[in-house]
Amino acid sequence: MKYLFRLYIQQFKTTFAMMFQYRASLVIWMIGQVLEPLVYLIVWSTVSNGNGGSVGNYTTTAFASYFIVLMLVNQFTYTWVMYDYEYRIREGMLSFALLRPVHPIHSDVADNIMSKAITLPILTVIAIGLGFAFHASLAVTPWMVVLFIPGLLLAFALRFLLEWTLAQAAFWTTRVNAINQIYFFLLLFLSGQIAPLSLLPHPIQIAAKILPFYWTIGFPTELLLGRLTFVGTLEGIGIQIAWLLVSLALVRVVWRAGVKVYSAVGQ
Amino acid sequence: MSSEDKTKPYNPSSRQGNSPVTNLVIHIQGLSKTYTVNEQEEGAKATMRGIFHRKKLEVPALSDISFDLAPGEIVGFLGPNGAGKTTTLKMLSGLLHPTSGDATVLGYTPWKREKAYLQQITLVMGQRAQLVWDIPAINSFELNRVIYRIPLDDYQRILKELTELLELGPLLTKPVRNLSLGERMKCEIAAALLHRPKVVFLDEPTIGLDVTMQRRIRAFIAEYNQRFGATVLMTSHYMADVAALCKRVVVIHHGRLLFNGELALLLQKFTSHKTIVIQLGECQADLKIYGEVLSCEDGRYTLRVPKADTARITERLLADLPVVDLLVEDPPIEEVIDRVFTEWNQ
Amino acid sequence: MNYLRLIRVFFRINVAGELAYRINFFINLFQSILGLGTALAGFAIIFSFTNSLGGWKPDEILALVGVYVLIGGIIRFAIQPGMEQLIQSVRDGTFDFTLTKPEDAQLLTSIGRIGIWEIINIGLGFVLLIIALVRLGGRIGGLQAIEFLAMLLAGSVIIYSFFLILTTLAFWLVRVENILTIFQSMYEAGRWPISLYPGWLRYGLTFVIPVAFATTIPVEALTGRLNWETLLIALILAVGLFAASRAFWKLGLRHYSGTSA
Repeated sequence: MKYLFRLYIQQFKTTFAMMFQYRASLVIWMIGQVLEPLVYLIVWSTVSNGNGGSVGNYTTTAFASYFIVLMLVNQFTYTWVMYDYEYRIREGMLSFALLRPVHPIHSDVADNIMSKAITLPILTVIAIGLGFAFHASLAVTPWMVVLFIPGLLLAFALRFLLEWTLAQAAFWTTRVNAINQIYFFLLLFLSGQIAPLSLLPHPIQIAAKILPFYWTIGFPTELLLGRLTFVGTLEGIGIQIAWLLVSLALVRVVWRAGVKVYSAVGQ
Repeated sequence: MSSEDKTKPYNPSSRQGNSPVTNLVIHIQGLSKTYTVNEQEEGAKATMRGIFHRKKLEVPALSDISFDLAPGEIVGFLGPNGAGKTTTLKMLSGLLHPTSGDATVLGYTPWKREKAYLQQITLVMGQRAQLVWDIPAINSFELNRVIYRIPLDDYQRILKELTELLELGPLLTKPVRNLSLGERMKCEIAAALLHRPKVVFLDEPTIGLDVTMQRRIRAFIAEYNQRFGATVLMTSHYMADVAALCKRVVVIHHGRLLFNGELALLLQKFTSHKTIVIQLGECQADLKIYGEVLSCEDGRYTLRVPKADTARITERLLADLPVVDLLVEDPPIEEVIDRVFTEWNQ
Repeated sequence: MNYLRLIRVFFRINVAGELAYRINFFINLFQSILGLGTALAGFAIIFSFTNSLGGWKPDEILALVGVYVLIGGIIRFAIQPGMEQLIQSVRDGTFDFTLTKPEDAQLLTSIGRIGIWEIINIGLGFVLLIIALVRLGGRIGGLQAIEFLAMLLAGSVIIYSFFLILTTLAFWLVRVENILTIFQSMYEAGRWPISLYPGWLRYGLTFVIPVAFATTIPVEALTGRLNWETLLIALILAVGLFAASRAFWKLGLRHYSGTSA
């Protein structure tokens, strides 16, 4: 509705102003975002080269393509609310959010989108540079590109909702660091950030396809790299939608419960 | 006045058969809030036990609070730290829900947090900021404009008025980070009033500010209340705030309501002494026989005498001493409030 | 010396607060084990496909992971918390309290805070290192052991000086609140031997952000890969950087006192 549209535009302006103030911090953060997939790229390339040029169904250059695309997909779907939330509750900012006649998730979504509107172009340029440096290649067919768009958007929506729900844990405990760490441990392995899923032991592959993590990063990545069949892609999008619905319900339930706890105790 | 008068809470609202509820903006009845806190025990065994079974402590924050506000009133909410003032304000703004009791504000139940309700209220917390820290205040104003669906011309009009009343001009384009505490407070208040709420909750709005700024904000609140007819419920530590703005006060202590009525009446009920200030030549005389000597500076004595004896002692002073000037005053309000609390504690 | 007494006092203050809640220990233990598990799981996956990574045997990589966790623990135990607190105190003005104390501000900053629970990581890293060394057949000569300890010490001094330089920058760049995370991000790369990385990255991880001195170089000493030049460079760099960072720190203090209201 028009109200939300105007709200998002205004939040975009606010986020942009803030990002401009913190541009140096942003650069530092982006370095980290590039380095992690880059390290795995190099390690796997080394393994591949030492193994006769390939590991499983990934050649050395295929690894390069994989991790570079992964870096961009990860960046597109990334959120950071769960690091913030405990601070917000402690500093009373959540009270002000609760005083407003609008659900606080909207400002987080808008903030997230605006940040990426700035960082993604920069990272894309870096990705292209890395692509040349490591001889990565990308061969796409029309249907891949067409299906990549919903695949990526669904991945973003799913990951955002899951991680926003995760952030609400701050209502019940101050040990959010431990909880976040568990989440990221699972995400790291099951989403394909440490190694492409097909290189992991078979039981883990199955677990990854049942849990939502793979569908937030690994799936769109493999889609664009042409590693999935047309039917497999459609099935994948179906699973994404299913998980999206689950996470929507989860967000509502957890948020409501969280507000109840918060309004029983205050701070 | 018997001592019994002082220990029973003075609260016309809690009497039955009061004015009809529909005339009131805020109606609170029997509001209570008890916090359940986990007891933290020491020792290895207790810690292990504590993981599975926590012993719970009940901490009462509010007990059976009842009072009302009529439209356009500015009511002061007084009490020492931890008395339950902030808890009450948070409940009325929907941030907390009570353990028992009811409250109706503008016809809504606050803790249901209905959007239509939130649209009409505002909460300003003296120690917390709602403005975004790193960007100019005007950006946060714009954000509020959209959130509260304020029509553009209304927004511009009210912004102009608030800028005038609070002298915001050059402050709006500076990042909030760079403003002094007083300047930030002015912007906070403005941001909270952009949507012209009918009910304004102020939690220690002048805390930490210098005297000039306090006076300015006080003047603003009075002016705002005059112009827009908003109902204001304000907590404060500073008697000057309350004395300047509130005809009526609600006094709360240990979560219980002690007094609800006109400030003048509070002073009358709980004042048993008066202060006599006389000007003599110097500070050489011993005035102990007339009353308690509080201080003397350059011949200016401050004496504390029982209220009933004021006339008699004044007469004697004028007769016995070369008095240049004489003044009879009420004790400072702080002292009165202190007395209310101390007597209640006994 | 007063320094030692100060260190003891700060230690006690930091520790007392944390130990009041013994559940903290279990939670931190859990997190440390999870962190180690992450590193080891990655290690396991890689080595399910190969026997040698850029010339490094699995157990040598294991030793590297051990040193990585150990040094990471030392950094987050003794170096990082004090620096973070300093940056925060410059932002909110409480640094003035540090300046008015009669002790050297650099010392107070450096030891003012410790991450007590990082002792767990130090322990885990050390245990992993020992296990790896045992599996390597225990062919560690006395000279290699001394070289290892020397490189560990040099590495720690280099890291400390580097952190101090970054932190001193906070006197000028008040808004770069996450300046220390430059190191944290790059440190991730220290989990693997830097010889794997292309030239420009290797250079960056050695001379721009000295991750190599913390992880790869000490382990090279243990696995007999260390040559004289590297050893000498490390020692000279340690001394030089320490002196340079202290000089820079003094410059930063002068700037702060000059411009502070």
